[in-house]
Amino acid sequence: MQWVTMFQKEMMESWRNKKWIWVPIVFIILAVMDPISTYYLPEIIQAAGGFPDGTVIELGDYAPAEIIMMSLSQYSTLGVLLIAFLSMGTVAGEKSSGVSELILVKPVSYTNYITAKWASLFVLIGGSSAIGLFAGWYYTVLLYGNLAFTTWLKAILFYSLWLLLVISVAILFNSLVTKPGIVVFLTILSVMLLSLLTQVFGHILTWSPVHLSSYIQELLLTGTVSDKLFGTAFVTIALSIMLLILSVYSFQRSENR
Amino acid sequence: MNDLFQNINWLILAPFLVIQAVLMVIALIDLIKADDVKGPKGMWFFIVIVLNTIGPIAYFIFGRRND
Repeated sequence: MQWVTMFQKEMMESWRNKKWIWVPIVFIILAVMDPISTYYLPEIIQAAGGFPDGTVIELGDYAPAEIIMMSLSQYSTLGVLLIAFLSMGTVAGEKSSGVSELILVKPVSYTNYITAKWASLFVLIGGSSAIGLFAGWYYTVLLYGNLAFTTWLKAILFYSLWLLLVISVAILFNSLVTKPGIVVFLTILSVMLLSLLTQVFGHILTWSPVHLSSYIQELLLTGTVSDKLFGTAFVTIALSIMLLILSVYSFQRSENR
Repeated sequence: MNDLFQNINWLILAPFLVIQAVLMVIALIDLIKADDVKGPKGMWFFIVIVLNTIGPIAYFIFGRRND
């Protein structure tokens, strides 16, 4: 019951901060930007002076799946940055301003405190990116051709796991340090390290969460969920839960010092 | 340049432009109503209006006092 109260408090707070208005809008802009600009690329190049005579550049026709992947790659770069900034204040900010002490004076368990923040952040970001990617899917169907709604739905369900992992990483650093800026830095750094590690040892780490987007591309092209995607999804969920347990533990330690 | 404006189907582009405008208006309303922001209010007005999309996001993340 206490968890529900904490969760409602978090949701109320992100509503009052207008996060429920601007975060979905930003995710819509991120998802819609590439489909539109790619569609008008030939016109834009023409307007900018065009190619010299004789240049042959294939702008090519894009498959709907490729366009959806463009939106997803925007999410994986700018989206991750946005998640890091959104989450920087949740625990770290409350710790440095003393709000967390105010809350924890009451008999609120550390687990509830951290997991409620984690869940509300996931609902905000997952919901916003679903809205955004739906707008992206709409433009893709409008401009490039049909892509089954169910395939798209499967793709975003798997993609949301990647967001879940990033949120868990951000919450862990929130519980470790008190400076919001350092939370952002460490979150981005560890996501970059994870993708670097996957690039180097990619052949061994076939279930690394970083592979999620390439397996999702397969899913979008073929419409079927591969075993590798299931394995990666499992690893991603397990990793997120582990990070969450670690965050509760480290938050408990830092508060009891 | 005229060609570009004629070739573009504005029905496709309009929602995208509208949503950017909505983001800016929300940021401006929030800025006007705010009692206190981090940094001078005039600077945030300038940033929100001049920098498309980035400006309002920057205001919500860095300028707004959340307590």
